[in-house]
Amino acid sequence: MTVRRPATRARSAIFAPLGDEGRASRVENRLAEAIRSGVLADGERLPSEPELAGMLGVATVTAREALVGLRAQGLVTTTRGRGGGSFVTRSRSAGVELGGRLGAMSRVELRDRGTVYAVVLAGCAELAAERADDDDVDDLRDLLVRDESDVGAWRHSDSELFLSVAALTQSARLVREVVRLEADFGGLLRMPLADAAFRRGSTGRNVALVEAIADRDPARARASMRAHVDASLERLTELHASVR
Amino acid sequence: MKVDTVLSTCVRIVEDYFLRIGDELETVRALLVGPFEGGPVDSRLASRSIEPQVRAFLDRSPVIGAGYVAAPGALSDHELYLAWWQGDDKHLLATSDAPATGDPLDYTRHAWFRTPARTGLPHVTGPYVDFVCTDEYVMTSTTPVLAHGRMVGVVGADTLLESLETLLLPTLRDARATLVNGASRVVVSSDPHHGTGALLDLSTCREVQPCRGLPLSVALH
Repeated sequence: MTVRRPATRARSAIFAPLGDEGRASRVENRLAEAIRSGVLADGERLPSEPELAGMLGVATVTAREALVGLRAQGLVTTTRGRGGGSFVTRSRSAGVELGGRLGAMSRVELRDRGTVYAVVLAGCAELAAERADDDDVDDLRDLLVRDESDVGAWRHSDSELFLSVAALTQSARLVREVVRLEADFGGLLRMPLADAAFRRGSTGRNVALVEAIADRDPARARASMRAHVDASLERLTELHASVR
Repeated sequence: MKVDTVLSTCVRIVEDYFLRIGDELETVRALLVGPFEGGPVDSRLASRSIEPQVRAFLDRSPVIGAGYVAAPGALSDHELYLAWWQGDDKHLLATSDAPATGDPLDYTRHAWFRTPARTGLPHVTGPYVDFVCTDEYVMTSTTPVLAHGRMVGVVGADTLLESLETLLLPTLRDARATLVNGASRVVVSSDPHHGTGALLDLSTCREVQPCRGLPLSVALH
């Protein structure tokens, strides 16, 4: 049985109509980001060219052009005939992929994306400290990574901690925004976790964040989250300088 | 006492709503016990066993999603799996992934799974923003599924807070009351100053009446 992936909000956002004149590169970029972040899964069949064009509100020829671009990036393979179509081929070497994406980004764009992420997550932390109950705090403590040498698992827990903090705002729209930000930028922001020393520092900052929420101290929670995101961004910008 | 009558009415409406969901979940649970006691169950068999019943439940109820969520190791082909249908199109959820990494999200730490696993009893979790299944603000009813004395998962259903507001607000207004959960978190309040999701100080309330068999109470200001 082919398991169809769920039509979550993050996925709906990918297929929402593009605002102005749909351009192939914008379609290509949006789908590429979704594939790199894992919102579109490895092996998943993409909608057909006409379907894709209809969903995104662009001409079929534009959708086709975008798919050509995705094939050139190695993110999609297309097979012909019965049962054929375009399938997601998510890179096996996610690290190399992320490095490439970081290198393709200007420092201005990195800072721009980092600013949105930092402001939204800091606001989440502040509200979480106002609205968390005791069970919520226990849940957050459970998400703190203690001994973990697998960087992938570390990144996953870190991302889940942030999503959980966002959920404590009690706002579904805010959580969906954080889901979108995580898909868009979370992978890049957690690149520095490859470094063991950075991971140790990161653990300390996460503990401080959770303790501020446990103390129901919104100002400290906000400041902790800012410090955490700023430290990641600073390190990411150093990495960026080394690849560009 | 008119106020007492209205308060009791609020409590009864809440109890009736969640009891009805509990009954539906009981039916779905019973459909899974046979297969699990009969031998190895894969995701396909679990889904097939309950799909018609879950779809009928979704058709006649205001819940936005329902189904079975596997305990780790319970299914022969997936460690984590959700035979869960939701949305206007009642699509199957199957797995839930973290947005940044694409790795499966471990739902077993969430209260809607953990609490019935610990107590062996049905539970109502929320209000909370669910980023595993719906990306919505919901209350989740869950009932454990036991086979050979072991919990093989839970069956559950999500109700949007918006649906509960529509259902409860008129009666709560008549009583000037607030529905809160076990952590004194506001579910729906007649008082515009007590927003859904905020924590309420129950010591300021004149009267608090618990709902039978539910971690919910109706408080009078």
